[in-house]
Amino acid sequence: MKTADPFQTSNRVLVIGGGVGGIRTALDLAEAQKHVVLIDRANAIGGLMTLLDRTFPTNNCDLCTISPTLSESSRSQYIELMPLTQVTRLSGEEGNFSAQLTTAPRYIDLSRCTACGECHKQFPECVNFNPGLDHRAPTCMRYPQATPQAFSIDMSRCSDPKALAACCPAHAIVLDDRQTQSEFQIGAVVMAPGASVFDPAAIDSFSYGRDPDVITSLEYERIMSASGPTQGRLMCPSDGRTPEKIAWIQCVGSRGMQKGAVSYCSGVCCMFALKEAIVTKERFQDSIEASIFYMDMRTFGKDYELYYERSRKDYGVRFVRSRPHSVFRKNGQGQLTVTFASEDSSTMNEETFDLVVLATGFQIGAETRQLADTLGITLNPHGFAQTGAFDPVATSRPGVYACGMFESPKDIPETMTQASAAACRASAHLPAPEALSESEDEQTSERDVTDEEPRIGVFICDCGESIGAVVHVPELAAFAAKLPGVALAESVGHGCSRESMSRIQEAIVEHKLNRVVLGGCSPRTHEARFQDVLQRAGLNKYLLEIANLRDQDAWVHLDHPDKANAKARQLIWSAVMSVKKAHALADNYLPINRDVLVVGGGVAGMTAALRLADQGFRVFLAERRSMLGGTANLVHRTLEGDDVQAFINDLRQKVMSHLRIQVIFNAFIVDHSGMPGMYTTGMQVGPQMFYRQIRHGVTILATGALPRRPDGYLLGQHDAVMTQLDADALIEDAPEKVKAWDTVVMIQCVGSRQPDNPNCSRVCCQAAVKNALRILEQNPETRIFILYRDMRTYGFQEDYYLKAREKGVIFVRYEPALPPVVQAAGSLIEVAFTDPVLGRSVMVTADALLLSTGFISDDESTEDLATIFKIPRTSDGYFLEDHIKLRPVDFSKPGFYMAGTAHAPKNIRESIAQAEASAARAMTMLSRENINLGAATARVDSQKCAACLICVRACPFGVPFINADGYSEIDPAKCHGCGVCAAECPAKAIQLMQFEDDQILSKVSSLLERMVA
Amino acid sequence: MMEDFEPVIIAFCCHYCAYTAADMAGSQRRCYPANVRIIRVPCSGKVDVIHILKAFENGADGVYVAGCLEGDCHFKNGNIRAARRVAYARKLMESVGIEGERLEMVNLSAGMGDRFAEIAGRITEKIRKMGPNPIRNTIRPVA
Repeated sequence: MKTADPFQTSNRVLVIGGGVGGIRTALDLAEAQKHVVLIDRANAIGGLMTLLDRTFPTNNCDLCTISPTLSESSRSQYIELMPLTQVTRLSGEEGNFSAQLTTAPRYIDLSRCTACGECHKQFPECVNFNPGLDHRAPTCMRYPQATPQAFSIDMSRCSDPKALAACCPAHAIVLDDRQTQSEFQIGAVVMAPGASVFDPAAIDSFSYGRDPDVITSLEYERIMSASGPTQGRLMCPSDGRTPEKIAWIQCVGSRGMQKGAVSYCSGVCCMFALKEAIVTKERFQDSIEASIFYMDMRTFGKDYELYYERSRKDYGVRFVRSRPHSVFRKNGQGQLTVTFASEDSSTMNEETFDLVVLATGFQIGAETRQLADTLGITLNPHGFAQTGAFDPVATSRPGVYACGMFESPKDIPETMTQASAAACRASAHLPAPEALSESEDEQTSERDVTDEEPRIGVFICDCGESIGAVVHVPELAAFAAKLPGVALAESVGHGCSRESMSRIQEAIVEHKLNRVVLGGCSPRTHEARFQDVLQRAGLNKYLLEIANLRDQDAWVHLDHPDKANAKARQLIWSAVMSVKKAHALADNYLPINRDVLVVGGGVAGMTAALRLADQGFRVFLAERRSMLGGTANLVHRTLEGDDVQAFINDLRQKVMSHLRIQVIFNAFIVDHSGMPGMYTTGMQVGPQMFYRQIRHGVTILATGALPRRPDGYLLGQHDAVMTQLDADALIEDAPEKVKAWDTVVMIQCVGSRQPDNPNCSRVCCQAAVKNALRILEQNPETRIFILYRDMRTYGFQEDYYLKAREKGVIFVRYEPALPPVVQAAGSLIEVAFTDPVLGRSVMVTADALLLSTGFISDDESTEDLATIFKIPRTSDGYFLEDHIKLRPVDFSKPGFYMAGTAHAPKNIRESIAQAEASAARAMTMLSRENINLGAATARVDSQKCAACLICVRACPFGVPFINADGYSEIDPAKCHGCGVCAAECPAKAIQLMQFEDDQILSKVSSLLERMVA
Repeated sequence: MMEDFEPVIIAFCCHYCAYTAADMAGSQRRCYPANVRIIRVPCSGKVDVIHILKAFENGADGVYVAGCLEGDCHFKNGNIRAARRVAYARKLMESVGIEGERLEMVNLSAGMGDRFAEIAGRITEKIRKMGPNPIRNTIRPVA
């Protein structure tokens, strides 16, 4: 492999911050063969996410979600990882920066440290891992799966450095370690420094810092976490008892109510409080009562509304719409008292709780502001990075990009999306590398185990609480050890942690294992990681079988540990029996077509096409209408007041005139075939609908959603009733009409958050606030009522919500069971609704009724495309991503990516970010010459083949043919691996590798064996 | 005897839909009976009649093949072939005195975790009512 010496040129990107965002950016760049320097102030990468117990909405343990990514990033040859490092100067300009990096002393020689933990044991004051809940130790490793796998020492807290140095068996402690400086030439910078958590000690009335039973949500995560200070045992910090009543208080430090609080909404606290409440209910059911005190429940993300519904209906989480005034402990009482006002009573209520969790928001800390200053970028009034209105990751300094929390408060999937977007933008400043041939990547020698008797190693994960709380892992390992052919069986904790993976690797070599069974999570998500472990240990990667103990056992039978344990034994037994029949296989490779097909010419499709074309790829952009722009053509202004039409016209112009983009109008996709990396898509084009085929390696689906127009509220029957989109156009085109309005009523959640469209449409609250402010610009005297269920102006949109309230817009909440009633009154509209504060019915006569109708999936089009491309959708008709947290723009089908509202409702800026992310993900594939197709292909035994032609007829792809020797031949490079031929072959002459008959039959018989426990 | 009868059911699940849906049921903590044992296959079209019959011969009380929704098969029509094979296997079963209802073809998509749990529950209840696979009483080890 030939690449220019990275140390001599600017062919690199500096990524600042090793949280999930920075890691994602680094990985996307590295996979696209761009060199990266990844720095972090801390001694290991991982950021805030490594502190979480579980993540919503899957309630996964975080460590196992992120640790594969961490190990991956420390392994990649393109990434230079520099912990304990900060930028101290950045000079030059885009494409040719010079960065000065300063690295603090670690006092540990990483090349010697074995992470044995001896120093930590001898100075046993716990670790610097649990924020606010533990003491700080002289040595600290932030979390058990830390990368790099080594400790660091805080010399200022060490009283006897000599003794510390002496205790290290590897002599890795270097007392005279010094701060070092280095100079790097780089092409672009990506800032992903994250945000810090608000410290509620500033608020006197909540007793935080004075009463141990008042904790932050992050501390609650640590208490619930298996790697936390209590090993996952839930207890009140004051006396160690198990709490019976827990209260969550939302918006602590956000939405500007308390001292020192910020005015914006931190965006993710509603979801993490829900998650903590659900996880608590999952573990303790009715023995703990979980109450959430909130103002608006802001579950606006993809499928988050369903999660909210589930928390209420399935888990019995209690919701109190109220802002508590204070939390305190009455003299001599064991419990805390929370005082709050509620909507239905005018007096103050009091209630007692064992534990009070403050859902604290996010702020930008002083160190990050300093960093922004060093890099010379502009911050917005809240201290976050100022980025472009239609350029969501570009900062004020060309060549410097920002993503994640530092851009605005956001959750993990959105951080991932922005991080990929930043990778896309940053890579444009580097020269395009030559395509890399995948097979060159591999250089392992494999041990031939064909003639060996099976020596199976069984490794069982506890996955923290995920498996360990339900399945008794040590007993299961003991059971496995007695099975025939098993040479070694042990539990491995978090099997996917670096530590456990290297333990497994060593065990394979040490015990001469020739087959491996892993009991853990789904092979869908983790098979590739463990296959890598086998390869590194010199075993063929197909000598592995995964027993799905988590997703299909522990999680399903939470309430029946006995059944879960019995099933776990059966699954392990079956995996052992099946892996015996496994044998070494070789992967097949196929060259990649480096052209791109983008379906959908809205903002997302155009942006993705443009970014890819700018970086040298040929793009076909298929649009079903005769005009580019999609739904954005109907929008005139953003909430922030930016001109959408000017932006769209410019984008359209750039796309139409780009030499490498071919726009195909009036295109209807009709068929699709081929293999990963080499697809052919047929479409009918133009008014004559003539047929045309495009060959491409990558497909980006950006087909959008539909603005909804439901019946009801006299929409379409009365001139004064319109949608927010109609109003947006009217305000722009006929302001004189708007000026004449005395009274306007808006109704939120029309056609969203209801059974036929259960999710939140995300954009309607901001649209309502935007139009209210614009109407008031025309006529400040207009009376505006906004009838809402929860105002979801997340992030900095909260500023505009506040502004609307200041300007006199009246916000009235309604219950879905008691919706407003609308009737015509001549040219006017009468709206009757119940005011929850006054507790009585109110009638308003309005000149205009604006319905916030939101989005609905373009069911017809996504259904057609899903059928043609064989890709999955959600139950409400949006495209389904491969992994909601870690791969939010990837389909499970290789080479397929999604962007824009076809994925879920989102605003223009968010669509642009996702489009750039899909371009970055596409580039990771397009930078290679060929693609690994795996080994699951059909093989014919020529001795048994009778050339009966059944396979020739059965194959859905027409691959088998009768060769010159008179028997059926199947080209592995063309075989898709479905196994239909193998199932049909009457002579059983065909076997599908990885899924051979003897493997399946041994699974059948072992799963049916009546087990004696 | 019927009181404590716990059926054992084999589910052949397509990797692209039913197996993914089963994982999703897990991540949503949707409970379904532990009686169902899942075998992952690349496509429901890979499931051979012999696999099904062997399952009954080895004592399964019920078997189902779970493939993608019709028209959505990742491999064009593997699920249609699977449905045909299931129908054929049912006839074979009837001819040797095993109720055909013990075998089913179901279709679902990757996003349907709820439906996966629902199907597992429904089939388990159905088989529970039907009682044990008759073959379990006839084929006893000689010794």
